[in-house]
Amino acid sequence: MHERLSFHIQRDSFLHRLNPLTKLVLTLALVIIAFTFPWYWTPHLLVIAAIIPLSLLGKVFREFSLTALRLILPAATFLFLMQAFFQPIGTDIIFKFYFLDVTTESMLFAFRNAMRIFVMVSSFTLFLLSTHPSELMSDLTRRGLPGQFAYVIISTLQIIPQMQAKAQTIISAQRSRGLDTESTFFKRAGSLVPLVGPLVFGSLVEVEERAIAIEARGFTSKHVKTSLHEIPDSTFDQSLRWVLFILIIASVGLNLWLS
Amino acid sequence: MLDRIKNNFNTQTWVLIPIAIAINIAIGQVVVLLKLPVYLDSIGTVLVAALCGPWAGALTGALSNIIWGIAVDPNALPWWPVAFFIGYNAGRMAQWGFFKEWWKVVVTGFVVAITAAIVSTPIAVYLYGGITASGSSFITAYLMQTGTGMVQAVLSTGFLVEPVDKITTAMLAFAIIQGLPKRMLGGYPKASQVEVSGSQSTTQMYIAISVVVVLVLFAAFMLRNILGG
Repeated sequence: MHERLSFHIQRDSFLHRLNPLTKLVLTLALVIIAFTFPWYWTPHLLVIAAIIPLSLLGKVFREFSLTALRLILPAATFLFLMQAFFQPIGTDIIFKFYFLDVTTESMLFAFRNAMRIFVMVSSFTLFLLSTHPSELMSDLTRRGLPGQFAYVIISTLQIIPQMQAKAQTIISAQRSRGLDTESTFFKRAGSLVPLVGPLVFGSLVEVEERAIAIEARGFTSKHVKTSLHEIPDSTFDQSLRWVLFILIIASVGLNLWLS
Repeated sequence: MLDRIKNNFNTQTWVLIPIAIAINIAIGQVVVLLKLPVYLDSIGTVLVAALCGPWAGALTGALSNIIWGIAVDPNALPWWPVAFFIGYNAGRMAQWGFFKEWWKVVVTGFVVAITAAIVSTPIAVYLYGGITASGSSFITAYLMQTGTGMVQAVLSTGFLVEPVDKITTAMLAFAIIQGLPKRMLGGYPKASQVEVSGSQSTTQMYIAISVVVVLVLFAAFMLRNILGG
């Protein structure tokens, strides 16, 4: 079991060397353009011309495609099928099935929506594959994000695996004393309390102790803290952020202008 | 305004938030394992909202979805505003004293459910075109196929599915707070708003539970009406 929950993979690549904020802006730009740019084939083009090349550039293509296959593609396919069948739009019927009819319009509509969701989720996956959470947080803290937020995000990522392990232990323990977790609905609903109780109370007991511990380490101190880790922010990063920013505004503007 | 936000946060709040987020995620997974027809993935959010105030609850909700998105399943990301408002409204209800008795907690759960249904509608409509990748979308899809408008279809699915889930969530959060020793509650900013006078009668708890059962039956009945008719 890994100590921290994240997708991040350490590689030496162009994408990994970019400033975390630049990568965040890039991700948001991809998502916003996919959703707002009026041209029908935008999301499809983004996948082929931006997301796949970026994953190659970041040397994470193999991991990226595995995640895409395992996590994103099933959801996008499900979405596509649901929408193609159930959107009651269009008249050009391709085929009928019981009361469902698939039309050219609903097919195209579903295809675009599924691709948009695919762009959204896959660009975030790419971002997470190439950016370490602590790196992102220390960069954002340096730019003025309150330290408390960084604490919440980083410590949550550490606590979740611990909590999942604890939940697994409790489930095994309760099962070994004969708790029914598999039969009828009421039995399963009833076993919620003996499973949830120990998990929640066990972790809430730690709160006070942790609070005292971080308080003693200057958590609420107002002084500017120095960082051991310097994160580079080149002029290339800065200009790339501006370009992306202009692209976002252009896309949103075009969308508003045409509608 | 800023002071009111700030008084939700002391060191204990900041420490509770990560734990609450982990509780959300861990319980969400236990529920999946038990194959129960609810999510129960916002118990931690409601807990923070009641103990620390609406803004802390809102932050917990939003971060919960964002972290769920970045660490477990990226599909959860776009729903963060829903969790934000769940936390905020649960906190407001607690502030108005609706977190002190079982029946009031049921009301809180109901209000939270309505909030969730309303806030998730625009996201489902604009981002997903009405039909999302979750199981309850079959109801939405059916309604749309039978001629209901997209927004109405999404909204009515929400109204049908959410109350059972959110009322159970609120009741479990209340039970957790009742189960904690008084000594451990003192450090939170809004501990006084969950303090109950005297002991809670178990009759009231049974009434509250039966309300949920009635709601489940009602939802099942409506579902059969919609899908059968």
